[in-house]
Order: sequence, then structure tokens, then C-alpha cells
Amino acid sequence: MPPPENAVALVTGGSRGIGAAITERLRADGYQAVTLGRTSGDVQADIGDPESVQAAFEQVRERYGPVLVLVNNAGERRDGLTIRMSAEDWEGVIATNLNGAFHCTRRALDDMLKARWGRIVNISSVVALHANPGQSNYGAAKAGMLSLTRTVAREMARKGITCNAVTPGVIETEMTTDVVDKLVAGVPAGRVGQPVEVAHAVSFLCSEEAAYVNGATLAVDGAMAA
Amino acid sequence: MAVTENDVLEEIRDQLEAIKVPGARDATPDNTWSELDVDSLDLVELVKALEDRFGITISDDDLKPIESVGAAIELTMRLHDDKEGAPA
Repeated sequence: MPPPENAVALVTGGSRGIGAAITERLRADGYQAVTLGRTSGDVQADIGDPESVQAAFEQVRERYGPVLVLVNNAGERRDGLTIRMSAEDWEGVIATNLNGAFHCTRRALDDMLKARWGRIVNISSVVALHANPGQSNYGAAKAGMLSLTRTVAREMARKGITCNAVTPGVIETEMTTDVVDKLVAGVPAGRVGQPVEVAHAVSFLCSEEAAYVNGATLAVDGAMAA
Repeated sequence: MAVTENDVLEEIRDQLEAIKVPGARDATPDNTWSELDVDSLDLVELVKALEDRFGITISDDDLKPIESVGAAIELTMRLHDDKEGAPA
């Protein structure tokens, strides 16, 4: 079954970096791409807060329609060695990256189940598979997203809903400017990736051609985790 | 507006049919979910349909003891009556 015409694709953190590239690509694919951000985007929400997420989804439904594609892309980093990491930095990163994906997924599934069609793509990270010192909070959240991905895939598979993950490696964005030079040495491809290269992978996972790809993790990392 | 047992039964049959439960049209109040091969995810869809159609909210606690079509009809009618009877 193809996606309903002009279906709403909600991209969290879709105003900049990887999220902006994904939004642009999904728009080009024919989706009504809507961005959700803390202070920017078409709709605002604190995705770590379930009530805020629910209110945002109600707004999206009213203004654009039911959410049939969800890209859980919003994320933040608060790096530091575990021994010195504050509970606040641990919990904050888990709240935005992992809890946020859960809250948005739960709300989107309501719409997808009704339509019996849906695509969820979780933007995880290479650090979910390949640990990076100083990112225990970020790595744990991103690894949690992979488990969330596989579980939702199994739960919803027979309803025409897929849930997959992408694990970007070192991608050139505002969020990585401070670490790009140090990390590129560890990339077998010998270069950083571009946001649009992640967007291509997301576009495929949202397509009808990917209907049988479910619970998968697609690495877009220049072989960094291979 | 009052809701009859038949209204709820028809809605349940429609929904079971939509989620491709074999024999959905012949479902009776005596049928249990396990007889109909309705699993927990099917039940979530059914509950959402009943909530939307009859303007009620079915909590997890309400849902736990509901194991048959008849029990779902009874619960839906009770929640609907409670809502209708509540002061505006």
C-alpha cells in the first residue's frame, strides 16, 4: 500500500543540521514535512515532556493532518567523562534523545494505527554501537533508541507500520563543529559525511519500496562502525 | 443520546472486520477475545474505535477485566451513560 497522498511527515529537530536535510528531502519526496523544535520549527514542544508532546501532536493534526511519518531526530549532547558527569547532564540527554523519541512514537502510533500505514525512523548514532569516551549519556540514549526501534517494529509489523533506525557517523553540522577534526581520523572513508547523505537513507526507509525493511539499523558512517 | 447494546455490537463487528478478524460479522456478546483470535494490539485498535465513536475514555484498569465482546459492550454503555449523566 502506498503512503496516503500528501501525508504528514513530522521531523523532530527538523530546523537545522541533519533534521533540516531530512525535512527538505521528505518534502521533495511529496510529503507534507512539518518540523518540531523546542523553540524553532513549525510546532514547538519540549519533547522530554509527554504533555508538551501531546499538545504539539494535537496542533499538528489540526493544522496539517495525522502524522504518518515520524523522524525522531531531535537530540542534544552534553559530553563529559562519566566519572565527572552530573546527574543533570545524564538525565537531560536521556530525556531529550531517548524519552523524546518514545513520547513522539507513542503519539504518532495512534495516527498510524488508524491509517494502517506508518513509517518511523529513529536517528540514532554510531556511538550506539561504537563507544566514544565522554558520551556515556548520549551513547546510552542512542543505544536505547535501537532497542526501541526493534521493539516497535515487532509490535506493529502486521499493521503496515515500519520502524527503523539510522546510525550516522561523523556528520558535518553545527552540533559537531567542535569534534569533527578529531573524529575524522577514525573514519575509514577518510572524510566526514554530509547531512544530505543521512537524508537519502531516511528517504529510502520512508518509501514504499522499504515496506519489508523493519527493525533494521542502517549505518551511514563511512564504515566507522564496520 | 442513549446508546443501545446493538449500536456497540455493530461498532465492534465493524472494527473487528477492519482489523481482519475472521468471522467478525458473526461475533456475538458471548465470544471471548481468545475465541476470536483478538490479541492485545487488536484490542488497542478496538478500544480507540469505541472511544472515538462513543466519546468515552477507556482506562487500562477498565480494560483489564474485559475478555469478551459482551463485557466490552457493557463497559462502553456504562461509560457512555456515566458521561451523559454527568453535570455539564
